[in-house]
This record gives sequence, structure tokens and C-alpha cells, in this order.
Amino acid sequence: MRISVTRTGGLAGIARRAELDTSARTDAPHVHALVREAMASGLRTRSFGVPDGFHYEITVDGRTVHCADPRLTEAQRELVSLVLQEGA
Amino acid sequence: MEPTAHGAADRTPGGRACFCTIVPPHVLDRLAEAGDAAVRDAARRSLALDARHRENRVLARRAAPPPATAGDRPERTVRDARHTEHLPGRTVRREGGAAVADGSVNRAYDGLGATFALYRAVYGRRSIDGAGLPLDATVHYGRDYDNAFWDGERMVFGDGDGEVFGDFTVPLDVIGHELTHGVTQYTAELEYRGQSGALNESLSDVFGSLVKQYALQQTADRADWLIGAGLLAPRVHGVALRSMRAPGTAYDDEVLGKDPQPATMDGYVDTRDDDGGVHINSGIPNHAFYLAATALGGNAWERAGQVWYDALTSPGLRPDADFAAFAAATVEAARARYGEGREADAVAKGWAQVGVTG
Repeated sequence: MRISVTRTGGLAGIARRAELDTSARTDAPHVHALVREAMASGLRTRSFGVPDGFHYEITVDGRTVHCADPRLTEAQRELVSLVLQEGA
Repeated sequence: MEPTAHGAADRTPGGRACFCTIVPPHVLDRLAEAGDAAVRDAARRSLALDARHRENRVLARRAAPPPATAGDRPERTVRDARHTEHLPGRTVRREGGAAVADGSVNRAYDGLGATFALYRAVYGRRSIDGAGLPLDATVHYGRDYDNAFWDGERMVFGDGDGEVFGDFTVPLDVIGHELTHGVTQYTAELEYRGQSGALNESLSDVFGSLVKQYALQQTADRADWLIGAGLLAPRVHGVALRSMRAPGTAYDDEVLGKDPQPATMDGYVDTRDDDGGVHINSGIPNHAFYLAATALGGNAWERAGQVWYDALTSPGLRPDADFAAFAAATVEAARARYGEGREADAVAKGWAQVGVTG
């Protein structure tokens, strides 16, 4: 499974993008569970955030959901952090 | 197009960021913010928050004039999220309380005070809502969190990752910037997307910079006109997040990319990202203010700042105002306050120079 996360906005307005492939990961079942939960609670369209808040776009298998700080679910928070930190 | 970063750091899960000499070009991790802390009951709270925002805005517009003494002094509370993303956090300093050992707490407290002082002393505004609203801030939000934002009720500051960004409480103009989002929320309610969003951002930069200039008692020719000076780590090639004097020149760095701000309408960026480029195209009205303020000379918070404040608080300014509408509002405000003359000319000329005609 390939997961991509794009973070935009923020006070600095600088975009960050990363992609994570779970095929070789030993924690793939955990990540897949996170993805299911994060996608289920994401919004189909770009969400209206707070001034200077980060926006996140999560794309998995051609499907994209949106979420924005400070209103992420636990699963969304963990997933975007994982992908932005460990993805390439 | 959006600026993306390519860079030279690696981070192990839960560990400190380390910069390496050879890395894959698309490793974009070093700016990633907090790890495992998360927002509980997010959906429920966000619904409640949205409802409160609407209520606040309605109340703000309908509020009766406050008692004469309300809002003459700030009423500050600083809380500490203790590296979680749970708001509001534990109270660590209240109004009148002595300085504490934590520099972030004291900087936030002092920055709230400096912002309150500009609005009260120069524009006669009693706190951000004009009615003595208590000022709240939360510091140490998240872990290595590279941002500061206004959530509709409070200012929230991350500590930065230490590699690219430092503590977001350091630049006084960033504190003024966040609180001015509150002022805009209670006045013009400029919609946070497209040109009205870029105006919302620009007003936060303008008054953020004026908070700093007023605190330092700097005239327009001596001010740095930077937003976020002191926020970038020493290894970053850049001086700040944005420059009002020369938009597009604040940084040019292999990790951060290049400052994407245009100074004039020729460079206007059409994008869906960043709420339609609100932090990018704000360079245009920012530069118009800089041009007007430096043409007038002296203290920028006096005439130029007064005109911008009058425009921001004018009842005729619509939430979906574009650059041209705001330009017209500033020229009108200049005429209303100072008559035909230098002020209105300088303001009109500033907008014309960036390619906006009211």
C-alpha cells in the first residue's frame, strides 16, 4: 500500500509532501488499520481550517481525504506524522 | 505550483532529527511535527468549536458598548500543553503573575501585552474584540511542532523542531500576527481563502510588524519589515518567513526552498494549496503597506497603520473583499481621516505600485 501525505498552509505557508510504501514494513497491519480509520474520518473535500493551521491531504489507492489542525483524529495524527517522518 | 522542500535530514521514529550528508532527495521528514500525541474527541470538540466561533462572531457584532473601564488593561493567561496536542493545557501564568522560569511562557505573556498595548494606546481598541476579551495563549504545543496558529479562541505555539525552526514565541511579530487574526475575526471576518484570505494574512503581518515597531519605537525607515526574524535556525539560509520590504527574498534554502511571495500582481500565484495561496499572495498587500508607510515616513503605526486599521474596521468592508476592494477602503479611510492630501496620495500610490487599483 502506498500512502501519500501533503501538508500545506501553516504560518510559513511551506508545503511538505511524502510517500510511504508499506510493502516491506513489518508494522504494515498496524499502518493499514490506521489508514482505514484515518480515511473513514477524513473529509472528501478540502476542509476549512483555522488561520495559520496546517492542512493535510492523505491519498491511498487513488482516494483522497482532507483534514486540518487542530482537528485531527488520533489515527489521522499518527498516520500523517508517520508518513511525513518516515516516508520519502 | 507549490514550494516543496528537498533536504538533508533524517529522523528515526521517536528520535532526534539528524542531518546527514547523503539522503534521498524526497525525504521531507525533518519538519514533521509531533509524533504520537493526538487530539481526543476531535470531532465532538470541533463541532463545539465551530458553533462557538459562529456565536462569538454574532455576539461580537451585536455587542453593546463595553463599560468605560473594561479592556483598559490586558487580562492574560498562558497555558502549557506540555508537548501534547491537547488544548488548552495547564495554566502556568496569569495576569499580574511573576515571570516564571520558562522563557516561552514569558515571551508569550509579554507578546500578548505588547499586542494589547499597540491596539489600546494607538487605535483605542480594548483587546481583540474591542470589549476587553481576555487574551489566552498555549505554548509547547505538540512535539517539535513547526507552527503557530489562531484556533478562534487562543494563540497556539509550537517549539519548532530545532533544526529548521526555533520556538515560535521568539518573534514578537508572530505573536502580533496570531492575535490580529483574532481582531480580524471580530471585525471584517475576512474569509480565509483566495484574495480575502491573503488580505486576512496580510493584516496579520502588517499589525504583527507594527506591534514590534511600536514596542521598539522604530520609525519606518529603521524597521526590518520582516515577519518571523529569529525563527529560522542558524543553519537555514534565510532571515525570516516573509519580507514586507522585498517579498520573495526572506529565504532561499535547500531545505525550505525559496520564498515564494510576489511583491506585485504580475507575480500573483493561483493555487489551491494554502487556502488559495493566502501566505503567498499576502506579499502583494504587504508590500503596498510598506510602500505607503515608508512614503509617509515617521512611525508606521501612526498614519499608515491608522488608515489600515480604519479600513479593517470599516463597516463597509465585506468578508469576501478582494485586493481592489481593500485598496479602495484604505484610500477612503485616508481621505476620511486626513482629507485629500499626502496620506491618501501615498496610500493610492502604494497600491498602484503593486498593480492593485481600487
